[in-house]
Amino acid sequence: MSRSSIPGELSVAKEGGAAGGQRSLIGPRSVLRLRSARIAVAVLVVIGILTAFGATLAPQNPLTVNANALFQGPGPHHLLGTDYLGRDVLSRLMAGTRLSVLTALEAVGIGLVLGTGPGIATVFLGRWFDFAANRVTDALMTLPWIFFAVAVTAALGNGLVQAMVPVGILLAPFFFRVTRAATLEHARAQYVEAAALLGATKLHIVRVHVLRKVLPTIAVTTASMAAAALLAVSFLTFLGIGVQPPAPTWGGVLSSDLGYLAQAPWAPFIPGALIAITVGALNALADAFRDRSGAGTLVLASPIIRTHSTLEPADDDEQSQYVA
Amino acid sequence: MTVAGLIRVASTGTAGAAVPRPRRSRIAAARLGGGLAVLVPIVILSSFITYSLGALSNSDPAATILGQDAATPAAVRRLNHALGLDHPLVVQYWHWLTRAVRGNLGHSYFTQIPVSQSISQRLPVDLSIALLAVVLAVLIGGSAGVAAAIRRGGWLDRGVTAVCSAASTLPAFVVGIILVVLFAMTAHLLPANGYVGPSTSIGQWLEHIILPSLALSLQVSADIARQLRTSLVEVLEQDYIVGATVRGLPYRRILVRHALRNAAGPALTILGNDFPIMLSGAVAAEAVFSLPGLGQLLLESAQTRDIPVVQGLLLVISSFVIVVNLIVNTTLNWLYRTSDGIGT
Repeated sequence: MSRSSIPGELSVAKEGGAAGGQRSLIGPRSVLRLRSARIAVAVLVVIGILTAFGATLAPQNPLTVNANALFQGPGPHHLLGTDYLGRDVLSRLMAGTRLSVLTALEAVGIGLVLGTGPGIATVFLGRWFDFAANRVTDALMTLPWIFFAVAVTAALGNGLVQAMVPVGILLAPFFFRVTRAATLEHARAQYVEAAALLGATKLHIVRVHVLRKVLPTIAVTTASMAAAALLAVSFLTFLGIGVQPPAPTWGGVLSSDLGYLAQAPWAPFIPGALIAITVGALNALADAFRDRSGAGTLVLASPIIRTHSTLEPADDDEQSQYVA
Repeated sequence: MTVAGLIRVASTGTAGAAVPRPRRSRIAAARLGGGLAVLVPIVILSSFITYSLGALSNSDPAATILGQDAATPAAVRRLNHALGLDHPLVVQYWHWLTRAVRGNLGHSYFTQIPVSQSISQRLPVDLSIALLAVVLAVLIGGSAGVAAAIRRGGWLDRGVTAVCSAASTLPAFVVGIILVVLFAMTAHLLPANGYVGPSTSIGQWLEHIILPSLALSLQVSADIARQLRTSLVEVLEQDYIVGATVRGLPYRRILVRHALRNAAGPALTILGNDFPIMLSGAVAAEAVFSLPGLGQLLLESAQTRDIPVVQGLLLVISSFVIVVNLIVNTTLNWLYRTSDGIGT
């Protein structure tokens, strides 16, 4: 599949030191040899702990209003300061972690299930299914997620869980394209042909030969899509969609800070940094995994809708158009 | 197919540069037409998703419009008939789509203002931000990517790479807030919110849209810089670049005419792919800078469940994505043209 010869992906595979696609089975241990991956995992473990126990670990009640301590800077009593109602920002962020992370995982889960299954199946189910699945994917990719998500909350009711369903649906095309490309690459290998000639069923080929080769690609995509989903959650909560006001969320803390910039101009940097660090950790993990396995998120360098045949490789043996 | 083949034969016969121009433009037109044909099922699918989303909502528009007291079964039935909501979904969709093609997106349930009117009132805001953001992204991302590729391995390259990774973790609304704090609250250089149309004052218009556009462009700039760096490094290692250097062409000319032209494709693709992200970012910028744009309209109408407005907005936005995509693809096709005609 010459799509992997997109310049960016090629060089990533080269830098990773693994011949792309050859050494696809990379265990977590080899990824952890990279320092960036170790830092990323450490950050994510902390976030995971906050997701599970954030509300109980919080030093103060995130909802307690204290009129004597408005807009306090970070200090010994309030480690990250207080907001416009004197509520402890650290506690609000810790308590808000669970909703943000769980709904982000909800979206990624939906995207993963809806995207990878058809992505693998489309290679084996014939041209019509492939055509239909690709057109649906194209159509979904023309809908910017925030518009879709807000429209769904208008239709199905205002709630973060409802709002993240469309986000998950819009993540599915990315999973679909990446999985399809990776599956195509492996499904045309000679050993798959040999297995088919020996009478292996399609299901057997998928299970034994394709699935484990495609898994690293799916893992990379999952990590970067989790980052995207987390950004989506924080933006939705920033807009106040699906959250009742006193409940703490990452984006909610940010938006309440925005209203009082004159009093506390430093305040938005704290939730902003929290979001950026978490997203950065997920991206770093995806990069580390990609470097180790040579698996690429191929989707980035191909157009949303391929209107012209010259934009996609016509044949396996044909040279890529990109470096003409 | 055969025409294209004939032309290809003809053009390989007349060596290189002497390809007749009108034929080229005709092939280009045919290609554009082919591209449009591919888009038809996509437009139909995405508009159907859009329409059915609103239609399947569990809200009862007639009851909402009439209010609790006036919503007698007979009145609801009358209103549903007037709104065309008593037809099957597919029929409703077809009526909606055929009207939409002619520019009629229906009326708001509550204000009775035509949807197309409220959209076209607010569209200039988002178009201003988005266009300026594209310009900024190409300028910032392009120059950063080229600089990093030329000085690859150096401190400039490492710096650009580090800044790009940092920038890609920062969503537009966080960047926007940082910009407000820096340029509006601290330095008092630019206004923190509001919008002034370009017809009132070009200077004030720029003043009001520069910060939102900057917030919007940062992530796209980072993507462009990274992609341009990788593909430019790749291209600069090609034999024809070495050949051009050996022939003694000036470096700047090699860079611009030979290398950049071939490396620009993937970066342009990224720009096209990031366009939906930019539209989402525009909503963020509107929220941070309180601009009266499409995002505000969307949020307002979603809150009141003004379904025709929501549907119209989604249709307009997804059409924008499709059109931009078509433009990007056509440009890519032109970039990748080969000497024997257009494309392969």
